[in-house]
Amino acid sequence: MKGTIFALGALVLAATSGAASAQTMSYAQAGALIAKSCGPSIERFCATVNIGTGQMQQCLTQHQDQVPRQCFDDFTAVQTGIAKRVAAQADAGKACSASAQQFCSGVKPGDANILDCLLDSVKVVRPACKQTLVDAGWAN
Amino acid sequence: MTRFTRLVGGLALAAALAAPLATSASAQTADNNQQILQGLSSVTNDDPSLTVELLRKMAQDAVAQNQPLGLNKSAIAQKLDKLAQITVQIQFALNSSIIRPESYGTLGSIADAMHHPILWNYKFVVVGNTDATGTRAYNLKLSQERADAIVQALVTLFRVSPDRLQALGLGQEALQVPGKPDDPINRRVQIFNIGTMGPMGKAWMNPQ
Repeated sequence: MKGTIFALGALVLAATSGAASAQTMSYAQAGALIAKSCGPSIERFCATVNIGTGQMQQCLTQHQDQVPRQCFDDFTAVQTGIAKRVAAQADAGKACSASAQQFCSGVKPGDANILDCLLDSVKVVRPACKQTLVDAGWAN
Repeated sequence: MTRFTRLVGGLALAAALAAPLATSASAQTADNNQQILQGLSSVTNDDPSLTVELLRKMAQDAVAQNQPLGLNKSAIAQKLDKLAQITVQIQFALNSSIIRPESYGTLGSIADAMHHPILWNYKFVVVGNTDATGTRAYNLKLSQERADAIVQALVTLFRVSPDRLQALGLGQEALQVPGKPDDPINRRVQIFNIGTMGPMGKAWMNPQ
C-alpha cells in the first residue's frame, strides 16, 4: 500500500513538474530491452534467425508456450517506441519551423546548427517544438 | 579537393574508441551514442575517389592473388584510416552472420547516432573484419555476410535509411594489428563516414 502511495506521489510530481518527458525510447534502449526480455529465448529457439530479417517475432511466436510473456510485450513496446521516435524525428522540422524562424534566423542550416540553436533557446521555444525534440531524442 | 566535413576530430576520438590493447590510433571500442556521434563527425579531407566498390575490388584482388600479409597496414587499411570512423564490437554466433542478442543495444547506439541531425546528411560504410585464422576467401565471405546483417538490422529494426548505408566485408585484408594476424583483436566492425547525401543545409530544419 505504501508503495502505491509513493508511486502515485511520483506520478503527480512528474505530472506537475512541467518538464517534457519522452514518450519514445532511444534505439539503444530498444535494442537492450529486446536483448534483456527475449535474448535467452532467441538464443534457445531462434538461434538461426537474424534480428534484421523481420522474422524474429514469428519465430518466437512459434515457441510462445516457452517464451516469457514479457518478451512479447517488450518487443511490441519497442516497435511502438521506435515508430514514435521516427515520427518525431520526421516531424521536427515542421514542429519547430516557427521557433527556428523566430530564434535562429541567422543560423546557417546543416550540421545540426538549427538544433543546437533551438536547444540553446529551449526555455523559449514553443512547447510543441520542445516536445518533438524530446521525443526525437535530441533534447532532455 | 578538400571538402570540409566534420571528420578529423573524430579520428582522435575514434582513437579513444576502438578495440582494447591495440597500439594503433583507433584503439578502443565505442559503445555509446555520444562516442559514436563524435567518432563519426568531424573535419577531414574527404576523398571522393575512395568508394566501396574500389575497396571491395582491392580486397578481392588481394585474396585472389594471395598477396602476402605484411607487417605494415595494408593499402586498404591505410586508405580507410583517413576517414572518420568508429570501431565497435558486435558479437556473432560462431562462423555465422547471426548477431547475438547481447549486441542489439550496441546496434541501437549506432542507430541513435545516425538518426541525430549532426549525422543526418552523411552516409556510411559498415565494414566487417576477421582475424587471419581460417582461409582468406572464407573470411572475406563471412565478413561480408556479417556486415550485411548489421546493415539489415539498422535498416529494418532501427529505421536508418538504406540509402545511407553500404556493407563491405574485408575479411583479413585490413588487419588492425598486422604483426599479430591471428589475434582476435582484428575481429571488429568499423563504421566509416564516406561523405554527404546532399548539399549541407538542405538536410534538416532549413528555416527558408
